Amino acid sequence: MIRDFEYLTPKTLKEALTLWDKYGDEAKIIAGGQSLLVLMRQGLVAPKYLIDIKGISELNYVKPDAKVGLRIGALTTHRTIEKSPLVRKGFAVLAEMENRLASIQTRNWGTIGGNICHADPAGDPAPVLISLKATLTTASLKGERNMAVEDFSLDYFETALEPGELLIEIQVPAAPPHTGTAYTKFNIIQSDLATVGVAVSITLGSGDGICQDIRIALGAAAPTAMRVKKAEAAVKGKKITENLLKEAGEIASTEVEPISDIVASEEYRRELVRVLVNRVGKEALARAKRA
Amino acid sequence: MLMEGKFTLKAPIQEVWDFLLKPETLASCIPGAEKMEAIDDKTYESVVKQKVGPISVKFKFTTKITEVDPPRHLKAVGQGADIAKAGTFSQETTVDLTEISKNEVEVSYSSNVSLVGRLATFGERIMRAKAKSVGEEFTRNLQEKLKSRTTG
Amino acid sequence: MKKELKFTVNGQPYEIYIKPKTLLSEALRDHLGLTGTKRGCNSSSCGACTVVLNGMAVKSCSILALQANGGEVMTVEGLARGTELHPLQKAFLDHGSFQCGFCTSGMLMSSKALLDENPKPTKEQIKEGIDGNICRCTGYNSIIRALTGVVKGEYKEEK
Repeated sequence: MIRDFEYLTPKTLKEALTLWDKYGDEAKIIAGGQSLLVLMRQGLVAPKYLIDIKGISELNYVKPDAKVGLRIGALTTHRTIEKSPLVRKGFAVLAEMENRLASIQTRNWGTIGGNICHADPAGDPAPVLISLKATLTTASLKGERNMAVEDFSLDYFETALEPGELLIEIQVPAAPPHTGTAYTKFNIIQSDLATVGVAVSITLGSGDGICQDIRIALGAAAPTAMRVKKAEAAVKGKKITENLLKEAGEIASTEVEPISDIVASEEYRRELVRVLVNRVGKEALARAKRA
Repeated sequence: MLMEGKFTLKAPIQEVWDFLLKPETLASCIPGAEKMEAIDDKTYESVVKQKVGPISVKFKFTTKITEVDPPRHLKAVGQGADIAKAGTFSQETTVDLTEISKNEVEVSYSSNVSLVGRLATFGERIMRAKAKSVGEEFTRNLQEKLKSRTTG
Repeated sequence: MKKELKFTVNGQPYEIYIKPKTLLSEALRDHLGLTGTKRGCNSSSCGACTVVLNGMAVKSCSILALQANGGEVMTVEGLARGTELHPLQKAFLDHGSFQCGFCTSGMLMSSKALLDENPKPTKEQIKEGIDGNICRCTGYNSIIRALTGVVKGEYKEEK
C-alpha cells in the first residue's frame, strides 16, 4: 500500500533543486518511477514529499557535441535512447543495451538518469557507460560537479549524490578509431534483470592488432557495476588472441564478488563471468577490427 | 543466512566470558543499534535502524541470552519487528570460548540471521546483499568490543 | 490533499480529483469505472495493466495517475468503435488468442502500440513487441498468429 505523500511538480531544474534542498531527508525524487514505485507500492519506501521531476523537459535530450561526443539528459527515456538515430549510428552499443533493458512498457516511461541513480548492481546502463568511459554531471543549488560514471555508484543502491543533488546529464565520448564495444547479459527470461551483465570495449592500434586499450565492466557481479582491472591488464598492450580473451575471462571470474540468491548461486555467476567476458570480448574485438 | 568465524583475544577466559554475559555486549554489536534498555540481566531491548539505498528500516529488537555453559558456551537469540510492519528479523548467535593459555582465548562464533515479510520478498534483492555486510559488521563489532574491553 | 487530474481517455475528456498516491490503473478502474485494464501481479512484472499513454505502451500500475495529467490514454475499451470490433480484437477471436482472458487487455494494448509504431513488424519484432506481457494460458503462438494476420491485412478496418 502506498502511503499518502505531498506531491510536488517543479517545472524547471532550479525549482526542483530548491524543493530537494528544502525537504531533503523527508522527500524522494520520482522521474519515471519504474524502480521507485515498485518499492513504494510495497510500503518499503514512504516519503513525506514526492518531488516529480518527469516533466522537466530541459533535461530530456540526446545531443551531439563536438567536444564530448554525445550528451544525454538525465530524464531521457530508455526508449528514446534505443530509437535515437544519433545513438544507433555512433554509439550503437547503447541502443543495443537499451533494447535488452526490461520491456518496452518500462523503457517508454523509465529514464536513464533514474536507472543510474537507483544504482541497482544488476542495472544494464552502468557497465556499458563505464566501458565507454562515460562521465556525468550532477547539480545542486551550490553548483555542478562532474565525475566518471565508474565513480558514481558506491554500494548497493547507493550513489555519490550528496543531499540536494540531482543527476542532470551523462556524457559519452566519441570512440577513438579502431574501437569496438559490445554488451550482453544473461537472464532467465527476456525482459528480466541481468543474472550477470558484461560490457567490453577494445581499442586496437592502427593495423597492428595490438590492444591499445580495453575496458571490461560487469553488472550483477559485485555491490556495484565494476571493472575487472586485473583482467584488463592481462590484455592491454598485447596482441589479442583467442587464448588471451579466455584468460581474461578466467581472471575476471576471480575478481568479482557476486552473491547467491534465488536466481543463481555465487559459483554460477562466476562461471557466467568467465564465459561471457570471453564471448563479449570476441565480439568487441570483431567490431574494433571493422571500425 | 549463516555467518561463522573465529578469532583470538589476549585475555583470560573468565574476563571474556563475564563481558559476553552482559546482554548489552551482544545487543550493542548489532549494526545500527541505538536506544538500548535492559529488561533483566539476560534480556535487552534496542531499536535498530538500517538503510539500504531507498529503503529505511527501524526494528524494535529484543536480545535474550538463552544458554550458558560458563565459561565456554553462550547462546543468544534476538527478534525484531519492523515498526512499519514490513518484516520481522530474527537472529541466533552462539559464541564458544576455548582457553589457549592463561592469557589467550579463542572466540568462535556462529550467527544465523533471517528476514521474513515484505522486506524479504520484495526487498530480497536489496536486503540480501545488505544482510551479508550487516552480518560482517556485527562480527567485526563483536571482535572490537571484546578487544577493547579486555585489553589494558 | 487531493489534486486535479485532467486527461483524455478513449477520446473523452475527464476531470477528477484524486490523492497523489493513486496509480494510473486505479484512476482508470476505480475512478472512471473502466475495469478492462487488469491488475495482474502487484509487482510490475506481468503487463496485464498495459494501456497506451501519449502513444506509448506503459504499465498503468507502475505510473502515478497524476503523471498522465494533460495526456491521452487509450484503454482496451477504446479499441472497438461502437459494436465494430478493432481488427486486433477480431483477429484474437479468430485465432483463439486467449483462454482465461486476464492478460488479454494488456496484450491488445501492447499490440496496438506496436502496430501504431510499426504497421509491418516481422515475427521477431512482434515477439519483441509483446515481451512485456505475460500469458499463462495460450503459449503465445495464437497471439503471434493473430498479430501476423492483422499485419498481413486479413482484418481490414471497415470504414
